[in-house]
Amino acid sequence: MLDQSIQELESRSLARIASATTLEELEAVRVDSLGRKGPLAQAGKEMGKLPPEDRARIGKLLNSARQNLEQALEAKKRGLDSGSLNARLEAEWLDVTLPAPGPRRGHLHPITRIQRELEDLFASLGFAVLDGPEVETEYYNFDALNIPADHPARDMQDTFWLDGGNLLRTHTSPVQVRGMERLGPPLRMIAPGRVFRNESVDASHEHTFYQLEGMMIDRDVSVAHLLYFMKTLLAAIFHRDVTVRLRPGYFPFVEPGFELDIQCLICGGSGCPVCKQSGWVELLPCGLVNPNVLRMSGIDPGEWNGFAFGLGLTRLVMMRYAIDDIRYLQGGDLRFLEQF
Amino acid sequence: MKFSYNWIREFVPTLHEAPGPLERLITMKTAECEGVEPVGELLSGACVARVESVEPIANSHNARAVVDAGLHGFKTVVCGAPNCRPGMLTAWAPIGKKVINGVESDGMLASPAELGINKDHSGIIELKAGAPGDPLPRCAPDAVIEIDNKSITHRPDLWGHFGVAREVAAILGLKLRDAVDLSLIPSAPPAIGIQIEDFSLCPRYSALVFENVSIGPSPYWLQARLTAIGLNPINNIVDMTNFVMAELAQPMHAFDADLLNGGTIFIRPARFGEAFRALNDQNYTLDASNLVIADAAGPIALGGVIGGAHSAIGAKTTRVVLESANFQASSIRKTSAAIKLRTDASIRFEKAQDPANTVRGLARAVELLREISPGIRIVGGLADQKKEMPAPPPIALRHDWLERKLGRSISPGEVRRILESLEFRFDEPQARVYSVSVPSWRSTKDVSIPDDLVEEVGRMVGYDSITPVAPLVPAAVPPANPTRKFQHEVRAVFVDQGFTEVYNYSFLSEESVRAFGFDPAAHLRVSNPIASDQALMRASLLPGIWKNVTENAKHREAFRLFEIGLEIHKTASGLPDEISHLVAALYERHGDGAAGLYELKRAAECLMPGAEARPAAARPFEHPARSGELVWRGQAAGRIFEFHPSLVESGRAAILDLDLRQVESLSALRTKYAPIRRYPSSAFDLSVVCPLREHAGNLQTAIASLSGPLLESIQFVRQYSGPPLDEGQKSVSFRVTLGSPERTLSSEEAGDIRTRIIEGMRSLGYELRL
Ligand SMILES: [Zn+2]
Repeated sequence: MLDQSIQELESRSLARIASATTLEELEAVRVDSLGRKGPLAQAGKEMGKLPPEDRARIGKLLNSARQNLEQALEAKKRGLDSGSLNARLEAEWLDVTLPAPGPRRGHLHPITRIQRELEDLFASLGFAVLDGPEVETEYYNFDALNIPADHPARDMQDTFWLDGGNLLRTHTSPVQVRGMERLGPPLRMIAPGRVFRNESVDASHEHTFYQLEGMMIDRDVSVAHLLYFMKTLLAAIFHRDVTVRLRPGYFPFVEPGFELDIQCLICGGSGCPVCKQSGWVELLPCGLVNPNVLRMSGIDPGEWNGFAFGLGLTRLVMMRYAIDDIRYLQGGDLRFLEQF
Repeated sequence: MKFSYNWIREFVPTLHEAPGPLERLITMKTAECEGVEPVGELLSGACVARVESVEPIANSHNARAVVDAGLHGFKTVVCGAPNCRPGMLTAWAPIGKKVINGVESDGMLASPAELGINKDHSGIIELKAGAPGDPLPRCAPDAVIEIDNKSITHRPDLWGHFGVAREVAAILGLKLRDAVDLSLIPSAPPAIGIQIEDFSLCPRYSALVFENVSIGPSPYWLQARLTAIGLNPINNIVDMTNFVMAELAQPMHAFDADLLNGGTIFIRPARFGEAFRALNDQNYTLDASNLVIADAAGPIALGGVIGGAHSAIGAKTTRVVLESANFQASSIRKTSAAIKLRTDASIRFEKAQDPANTVRGLARAVELLREISPGIRIVGGLADQKKEMPAPPPIALRHDWLERKLGRSISPGEVRRILESLEFRFDEPQARVYSVSVPSWRSTKDVSIPDDLVEEVGRMVGYDSITPVAPLVPAAVPPANPTRKFQHEVRAVFVDQGFTEVYNYSFLSEESVRAFGFDPAAHLRVSNPIASDQALMRASLLPGIWKNVTENAKHREAFRLFEIGLEIHKTASGLPDEISHLVAALYERHGDGAAGLYELKRAAECLMPGAEARPAAARPFEHPARSGELVWRGQAAGRIFEFHPSLVESGRAAILDLDLRQVESLSALRTKYAPIRRYPSSAFDLSVVCPLREHAGNLQTAIASLSGPLLESIQFVRQYSGPPLDEGQKSVSFRVTLGSPERTLSSEEAGDIRTRIIEGMRSLGYELRL
């Protein structure tokens, strides 16, 4: 008799579980069948009243019914859970093609970009990055660089003079002098920065532009070493091997002085409008540091010597990005600046 | 400076290198050339021709001329020149046949300008002599090589053809023919006295007197030479002085001897206020810093710069004093700069010319004058005053040192050959230690130390012969540049927040400075500005950024930009104070501007965590109700504000101006580590009712100071205005968190503090909503 009612309960409950559509219905089935006051629990309590020969059989039957129901409930619950999750997920549709709110990332100025690239490059070669003032004394800008007053070389750089007798540095070379005074030999340094020349502005001339000065002071520095550094540097700047040549150039702070040309990267040396059909592009002045300059900065030229070079940072930026009008660089136009 | 190829070849007769390759060689070994231009191309094939007949052509200004062109035969040429007449000798050039005015014209009759002889194109050239078919005497097509003046600043000798010819001969290993025959100077007592007051300003003054001079045009070949290099032929005497200058780099001046007063030339400083009328018809008032050439009556030339109008050579001149002098370079430069007159002479003298060259110039002049002023006679002998100029001591050059400098080996014989080809004197007193004497034309300024000889050897042996070599130096970490690193970090922060970097000029106009209420007089001023609106050095980045905002607002509805640059502040003495600043701008055409200002404030806090904005009196360009001072770690670090609406036509621009030097030094302060609190903290909210314009920051400060030492943090939660609050009132809520590193606070302790705050705020006049 009991056997039958247990089996009936089990099959009835399994049917209810199967037809349940919500977690609440399922919970009701659980309470009705497996609850502490449910029929199975009741049957369990009444076990003691059964004749001993029936106990084991009924006990097995009860356990199996409980297990079957628990498994069915668990399985049904998982099904119902994922169903409601799916419904929620479905409701939470987002248009991922919409633009994200908030500002877009800004842009570094192209001169900053190239300058940082060069700073990192030189730092990796053991060069310090030094700074100097934009307003300089005549001494640092000229005299200490072997350009005394009334030297015709002063005409090579049209100078902005300031009331009171100072000037706007016409090159980053004064930082060499400050570097030699401050750090002494041996020295490897660069000085990127803003320089000024009293020139009228057009598409290819600016009164304000950027240079990168470099210097190495050590023992027995030669033209061969200068060439090595320049080739290494230019290969890194242009991301390819470059052919360079030195020819005489006159700058009072170096002796001998050179103009360094690179073989035209556009035509590879066969001649094109960029290199004015010569196959070569003038890139940077350089040379071995004039012993007078070392002496004036308190370095004994009998013991130390070195090389120096000046890279036109603005010009390099224009070459790198094929910018055809220098005025854009200080024009503040976002339509230009946002391209970098 | 332009150089004639034919002229150079006169001194290097075996030169066969064509002008193009020669130009490249000069560039690689001596000085930068800027190109080769052909001149006088028409002279190729041109010949003397006699005009046989001239007939008018109906309905045309042109005429039909028949010329005898010698071996070319008779030619019919259409010619429009007014001076074309039968019997004249002119030049015929074979340029092919062409029908003009219905007449077949074979070749052309050429004007002096067309032949490249001078600028005269008023008619066809008139020749005085020659047989039809002969080439024009000593006139030939030429090529002009232009050398960059800047690259010969240090080479006084290269300002003349002979100097360049010497280089060419050395480069190619050819023989150089001297331009000068010193034996042409007669030895006789001088016909004129010379008195030099200060030999340091005028180390040498040489002169010759000539009589029976005839003034007229120079021969065509000489005119062609001058024209080719860009000088204008004037008359034979003046042309001769220019010719010698272009050949030997020795400027000369010719005075009309009959217009001079007295028999002595004085070289002296000008007297203060002395008047001088120059050849260019300008009047100059001189002072003692100007060196003059004077006769008994006054200045006759401004030494080394320009001659005087009064004693100038004219058509009636028959006697000439020819000056060939040497002047101190820096004095010439000063005078020429002071009177703003740079002449071909002053440009050469300021390069420090060779005093030995004065007499060489005169010798060359004698030779030329005999040809171009037939019948001319020298009166007396050479007048020559000079200070004794001992030759500089020879330079000691060690061979091993030379090789170490170049970074390649070179044979002693090669060193010797190179230096001697450039006319250095070479001795070897010890093995591989050379004693090198510098020629006079290189010793004035150019070559004085062994390093200068490295250049001579290096350029001639060819820098392309040097193989790059890595230096053997110790690996070392370079000293850091924290300021630059910091600024790059600042850039990264702002770019990440959506700001784009701009660069502005360092110059400002007085107008823009005034527009911002700054005092122009407080700015450092450029003495020689490029334009009057770029005369002041910026003491603020704001005017530049304002311009960026205004310009970009024409194209954009909203944008963010920033600049990092130097403010330049005048100081009482010495160099100005250069302070690095960051100015950022956030512009929005629409909206009330509040969001922009707070976004900018947040960006500032990315750089300065915990920075506070404190209300501050607005400056004239700031929105009077929207400006504040930024304080970080107790120090003022900058300003945040909105531009005054009068500065921004439409829309609003929030501005951040930070003193990066200050921010950097505050960034360097190390925050000390505090252990993570082990005991729970307790928090409660407080809402303070206050007038609408009460600053939340003030309330927060007041609450914080009432909270006492157990305050862990205080945070703004929200603010509210509207019912049930009264009109003009708002409620500002804060969350106060209390705690102790040593224990858990009891609820009584926390309650006491809360009560203390509430009572304290009430006593300050605030109502609290609890
Ligand atoms: Zn090319």
